[in-house]
Parts: sequence; structure tokens; C-alpha cells
Amino acid sequence: MRVLIVGAGEVGFHLAERLSQEGQDVVLLEQDPERADFASKQLDVLTLAGNGASLPVLEKAGVKGARILLAVTSQDEVNLISCLAASRMGVEFTVARVSNPEYFQRGSVLSGDQMGIDLLINPERECAWETFQLLQAAAATDVAQFAQGRVELLGVRVKEGAPVAGRTLAEVGVELKDLHYNTVAIRRGDRTIIPRGADRVLVGDQIYVLAPTEEVGRIHQLAGHEDFELRRVMIAGGSEEGAYLAEMLEQNGIECTILDHDRRRCLELAERLPRSLVLHADATDLELLEMEGVAGIDGFVACTGQDETNMLASLLAKSVGARKVVSLVHRFAYLSIVAKVGIDAAVSPRMSTVNAILRYVRRGRVLTVAALQGIDAEAIEFSVGPGAPIVGRPLHEVQIPAGAFIGTILRGEEIILPRGGDCIQAGDEVIVFTLPEAISRVERLFAE
Amino acid sequence: MSLRRVLGVVGLMEIFFGIAMAAPLAVSLIYRDGDALAFLGAMVLTIAAGGALSRLARGDSEITTREGFAIVTLGWTGAAAFGALPYLFTGTAGGFWRALFESMSGLTTTGATIFSDIEALPRGILFWRSLTHWIGGMGIIVLAIAVLPYLGVGGMQLFRAEVPGPTPERLRPRIAQTAKLLWLVYLGMTLAQSLLYRLGGLDWFDAITHTFATLATGGFSTRNDSLAAFPSPFVQYVTILFMYLAGINFALHFRALTGRLEYFRDQEWRFLTGIILGSGLVLAGVNLVGGAHPLTTGGVEEAVRTGLFQSTSITTTTGFVSADYEAWLPAGQVILLALMFVGGMAGSTGGGIKAVRVLLLLKHGWLEVRKHLHPRAIFLTRVGRQTVGEGVMANIIGFVLLYLLLLLAGILVLGFMGMDLLTALGASAATVGNIGPGWGAVGATDHYGWMEAPALAVLTFLMLVGRLEIYTVLLLLLPETWRRRRPRSVRT
Repeated sequence: MRVLIVGAGEVGFHLAERLSQEGQDVVLLEQDPERADFASKQLDVLTLAGNGASLPVLEKAGVKGARILLAVTSQDEVNLISCLAASRMGVEFTVARVSNPEYFQRGSVLSGDQMGIDLLINPERECAWETFQLLQAAAATDVAQFAQGRVELLGVRVKEGAPVAGRTLAEVGVELKDLHYNTVAIRRGDRTIIPRGADRVLVGDQIYVLAPTEEVGRIHQLAGHEDFELRRVMIAGGSEEGAYLAEMLEQNGIECTILDHDRRRCLELAERLPRSLVLHADATDLELLEMEGVAGIDGFVACTGQDETNMLASLLAKSVGARKVVSLVHRFAYLSIVAKVGIDAAVSPRMSTVNAILRYVRRGRVLTVAALQGIDAEAIEFSVGPGAPIVGRPLHEVQIPAGAFIGTILRGEEIILPRGGDCIQAGDEVIVFTLPEAISRVERLFAE
Repeated sequence: MSLRRVLGVVGLMEIFFGIAMAAPLAVSLIYRDGDALAFLGAMVLTIAAGGALSRLARGDSEITTREGFAIVTLGWTGAAAFGALPYLFTGTAGGFWRALFESMSGLTTTGATIFSDIEALPRGILFWRSLTHWIGGMGIIVLAIAVLPYLGVGGMQLFRAEVPGPTPERLRPRIAQTAKLLWLVYLGMTLAQSLLYRLGGLDWFDAITHTFATLATGGFSTRNDSLAAFPSPFVQYVTILFMYLAGINFALHFRALTGRLEYFRDQEWRFLTGIILGSGLVLAGVNLVGGAHPLTTGGVEEAVRTGLFQSTSITTTTGFVSADYEAWLPAGQVILLALMFVGGMAGSTGGGIKAVRVLLLLKHGWLEVRKHLHPRAIFLTRVGRQTVGEGVMANIIGFVLLYLLLLLAGILVLGFMGMDLLTALGASAATVGNIGPGWGAVGATDHYGWMEAPALAVLTFLMLVGRLEIYTVLLLLLPETWRRRRPRSVRT
């Protein structure tokens, strides 16, 4: 299957890398020759320099034989035009990254349907949505929902004195028989481990756990965190991500304070957010943050346009006792150090975009995909058809690829944590946790 | 500012007003009350004076903002003066200031009267009193704009100056069309209410005169006992309903008629409705608790009806009376006093401060308190989803301040003339707010006829200032307004 990606910025580059690892034929179009050259050296993809909105360039890139076009430059209009051109040239699925909400509001002239665009993705909104979910899952560093919210995947950092610390998964499992959960991955330093029963959990590890949503609170306790309800949130920085997040909080009746250093932006925010408290202040003005009650606040999100300011503001908030601190980080390179400096979680608009697009590209038998911010792995929810190779054999007889883990089987109302003797049946929904290199083999197990 | 142009347009308005006198003339002829000549004289004089003035207006009729204010104020004063002629010519009023007071009270839809025995008045005069309400309710200017297409361009200036409320809504791109639609709604409601009154057993004369007084939120009745003269619950409920409808923004009625029910979406509407219903029920409760009161012998239904009637009547500034509220418990009376400071919605025929201003002032006050908690916060005041700019807010604060100052000035002057505090307060509040009945010697069952000419003159002025929403009139008292400026060649 050929995939055309327009724009080799961080989003395009990352998408190309992921899709290429999964065995897709990727053609990457980039206007800037240097950037194109860089991508062609780093990735196993075909890279072309040229404007992705131009028909000759698209033709040269083989748009006629492509099944998917992902237009992810930072310019909305270029993305829209590429998709429009591609859909006229017979590309089956087109995805455009579009930040300006006026382009995809209902009733807009350029509605996606009319332009033949299958998916419009707003990076800022995706990012805000991810942040919102993170905030709601108290101590989690990552969170994703499956099966219409019945099952949650949770990343939690193991604290000193946590019940699971220093023990093997098998030991913990015996002790907590009544708790339905599955530890699907452990992140230790820069390594991701797909654990077996004999693996030991250490303090400072990040564990990824699949559990029914109603039991998620107890997973927090297992990792040494207390579960708390989100009541008050402060957003430092009135970026688009911050404003979308504030809107989501307002809709859910959560008290929200948002601040920005630009007075005119504050007026815009006040206009847009009738129930939030809008402050004209600097994100790192500790005295003001304390006066507005940042100590003991349930959630603090640093959302300015600058990564450095965000990380500093997050650390300040954490130091005076904010319970959960999330930082907006634009540069992928910074994502890995966030955990090390003590910020609870990081979100990135570009990573959120990548996730949203990957989720879409793999649809069909795939119901949900979650690529996680802090870890190089994905959780994929499959719907099992009658012809899939995995059907009808006990799991210990099936060759599960290394780096993959069958987390949960959903059969009607039942949530099953699979053991070796269990069989997957047609009609089940299965959540698989997998490292990138195993994805294509996992997909083969579920393909018909 | 061109005085010629101002007087010219004013002249046109007076011609209209003079033509309206044909109605009482006809009534007078039908009932043979012997006043036909008086009405004819007044009509001829008004039209002739208007005609003479209107000849001054020549050439282009582009009206500046200042001229707009001058036209509206002078036009209303002129209308009140010419409208006093029938009272003078029929000899019913007994003095120029008394006639002017009655005429102004009618036009400004106040409903305060100098007549002690209304039922003794001839039919023609009774009809003229109600008709001045009806004309003044929707506004002379709005009528003129609706009918005179050439006022269109400067029309917005006039419209702004006359229509109650901070910013008038346009229903159609052209102001003349908007004015026409408003009058159409007004006419339709007049027809509906008259028919309902007729169903309730009133004769055509009573039905029409009371309809005029209700829809204009005026308050003149043809009976000494006001609406208490019609004890039928049906008639009272019809009156409550239409007083309430007249206190609502007519733009909302228009939308409802075109199939868009937007009442509930309007925060000002929710505020006004809440106040009327809430205070009406509290009044009913107060009257039921004050058990010895003869009014409540009719039971809960009557108490609720009377409570709602009086809360609607005072809040919308109509001023009809279905019971002597001065005999109520003090708790009930102070509620009515507070309601005098609410008024109808912007864009209604009601007077007073206007519900939207009260609402915004309350919100603004609350935000000022919150500002002390969050000194760096950016707060916006809003009605519904619409934010209100700082300029508009300042305008509203200024308006309410001036309104209260004017009220205080009225109390002071009346006090110096020897009136007791309660009467002075009642009379001032009832005239600035265009309500009608006040307290003390001008209470629910009293009249203003005992006052001397100077007091009547003061109250006449207060009615005008209250109806034209203060700024329009006070501007004309500033010398700056009259200073010549270089003609502006660029229109913005």
C-alpha cells in the first residue's frame, strides 16, 4: 500500500517513520530541499522535494497509485489543496491537518465532504483532548480508552513505597486476585519491556496497565498514588491548545483559571470562555500563581508557545504543591526529559496529530489505536473476524510475535484477561499492546 | 447644527400628530359630546403650525447626531404642547400647565392625571388621553420614520434617540422597514387585546381606550377606580398578559410572529419575567399573610391575581391599579417601590431604567467585588452570550447615576414646595419612570390635580426626560451642543 505524506516537518517525519516501520511504502513530499534531504537520509522512504499542492509534483510522486494521502504541512491551505487534488486523482483516503477552526466548522464553504477530504485533524484540539483525558486520570502519565470507554490503558509512574515496588508481576498478581488488570509494558529509563510474570517492577518505572475503567482508581494506589477527583485546573498560557482545553473543562463543569501575558489575547479568551477566570499574568509569575491558589490545585497545565517556559512553569507549580502538572512540549526531543525533571506528563500537539492520523490509517478491523507520548509503543484494538488466523486456537499455541502482548479480550459484556489456555473467538474485540517492529506481524494475525 | 432643519423635521412630526386628532374628533361626533369644534380647532392649529415649520426644511435632509437629539426633544415637547390644546379648548383642564401635564403624561405613557373625576369627562377627551398613550408608546418618531421614506438616512439618529434601551435592534437593513414592522406588531397586538376585552364584556369604547393604555404601558383609564372598575378576573388576566407583553422587546414579538421563538434565549427576558413572577407571588403571599386585608377574602386565586397584576403594572411602568396598594402591608409596598426601578425591556414600550440596565449593573457590581479577589483578572460583562463593551457599560452606569440624581432633584424641589417626603418621593419616581401612581397624596387612588403650576411643570419635565432616556434631553441643555462647527464634508 502506498502512502503519500505531504510535509516533512515533525509530524510528517514521524508519520513517515512509523508507517515505514510497519512496512508501508511511503513517499514523502517536502518543499524545503534541505529538509527533504535530511528525511531521505534518516528514513527508508522515497523523498521528493516540491510543493505538495502542485499537481505535477503529486503526479511525479505517484499519486495515481496511492491509497492514502496525509497532508500535514503547517499551512492549512496547502494541506486542503493537496487533499482536494489527491481525491480528484483517485486517492482513496485523504487526511488534512487544519488548525483554523473556521475551515471545518459545520456549514463552512470548505466542508471536508465537499472537498473529498476524509479526515480533518486539528492538532491543537487533539492535543487539548489528550490533555483533558490525562487530567481526568489523576496520576496517569498516559491514558487511552478502548471499547467505548469500558477499558482504559493507563501509564503510571511507580512511587517509593508503592505496593508493587520491588516485586515480580507474578507475586503481585497472586496477591491481588480480585483486581482485573494486566501490566502490558514497563518503561525503565529508555527501554520498553514487554513483561512476563517473572519481571520485577522497580521504583521509578513507568508501568502501562490495561484495566476496566471502574478499577482504574485502584491501579493508581497500586503504584503509590492517591486517586483524586479533578475539580480545579489552572492553565498557564492562552495558546489555542489552552483555550480548547478550557472549553472542554467548562463543558464538564470543572473550575478553570487561564492566564496569558498578552492583554488582547486575555480579552479574546474572556469572550470565548464565559465560565473561566481569565488572568492577565505571566506563566512563571510564582507570586501570582500562589495568590490564585496553585498550591493544592488538582491540575496545572503549562500551555504557552514556548517549551522552556512551559517546563519552568510546570516545575514551579509542582514545587508549590500542584497535584498534577502537565506541560505542553512542541519539540519531540524534549519529550524524553520531561519525566526525568519531575513533570508528571507531557503532551505535544504534533504527537497528538500523529496519533490521530495513525488511528485513522489503520482502521478497518482496527477500532482504536493509541500511540503513547512517553513510550515507543502502541495499543491497538482489533475487531476479530471469522477468518482471522488467530481464531479458535488456544493462545499458547499461537505464535505471538515478540514485543506484542494480548492485553484484554472483550466478549459481549465480559472483559477477559487472557491466559495461555484462552481462545479468541470471532466477534471478540481484542486489545493488543505492541512495539512498533511487531505491528505488521500482529496485524497479520488479525487479518482475514 | 442647523436650527432650520431641526424645526423643519419637527414641523413634519407635528403635522402627523395633528392628523391623529381626527380620531377624537370622530369620537366626539359619534357620542355628540359637543367638543367637536374644540378638536377641529386644535387639529387645524397643529397642522397649520406644523406645515409652516416644515417649510423651513429644504434641500437635503441628512440629519446629524446632534440634530437628531434636538429634533426628538423639540418634537416631543411640541407634541405635548399641541396635544394640550384639546384640553384647553374644551375647558376641561383649567389652566395651561395642567393641560400640558396631562398631555405630556399621555405621550410619555406615564398615566399620571390631573383629573379627579375621570368619569365626568366627555368621551372625546377620554379618547384623546388614551390615543396620546398609544402614539407615544411606540413613538412619534418611529411612526414618522415608518411613513416618511425620506427620513431614512438620518432616521437612525432619530430612532436611536427615541427608542428606549441602550442599543436598538434592527429587524431589517433599512430603518424605515424596521419601524414599519414594529408598528405592525403594535397594531396586531392592539387588535388582539381589544377583541379579548370585548369578549370579557367591555364595550368598544372601554375596550379600545384601555387597550391603548395597556400596550403603551401608559395607565390612563376611563374610570375613577382604574382597572378595579372591572372586577371580572378574565379582564384582569387579559390586562396582566398584555401589560407584560408590552414590557417585552417588540423585536422578540416580531421574531415570534415569524416563527422564531427566542424569548427564552434572551437573558433580559428571563430576568424581567423572573422579577415579575417572583415579586407577584411574594406580593400574593404578603397579602395572604396580612390576613385581615379585605382583598384576600377572595382566596388564593384573587391574592395571586392581584399580586401579579400590581407587580406587572409597576414593573412594566404601566401604572394600572386593581387594588389600593397603599393599604397593603409595608412589605408589599416596598416591593412595589423597588419594582419602580426596574422598568420594561429595552425596545419595549415600557419606561423606567430598563431591565437590561439593571441586570448589567448587578452583574457589573458583582464583578467589581470579584476583582478585589483577583486583581489581575480580565472580566467581561455579558447579557446572554453577548459581551458588553466598556463604553456601553460606562454609558449605562452614567445613565443610572443621572436617573437617580434626577429623581433626587425632583424630590428636593417638590420638598421645597412643601410636599411631604412620601409624596415627593412617590411623585418623582412615578414621573421619571413614566409609571403614574406613586405614594402619599399621589397614591393608587389619588391624582395630581391638587398640585400648583410650578410642581406640575417640574413633573412634566421629569416625564419628558424619563421617556427620552435622559441623555437626549440633557444634551440640549449644554451650550456646546448649540455651538456652530465646521460643516463635516466626510460622512463616516
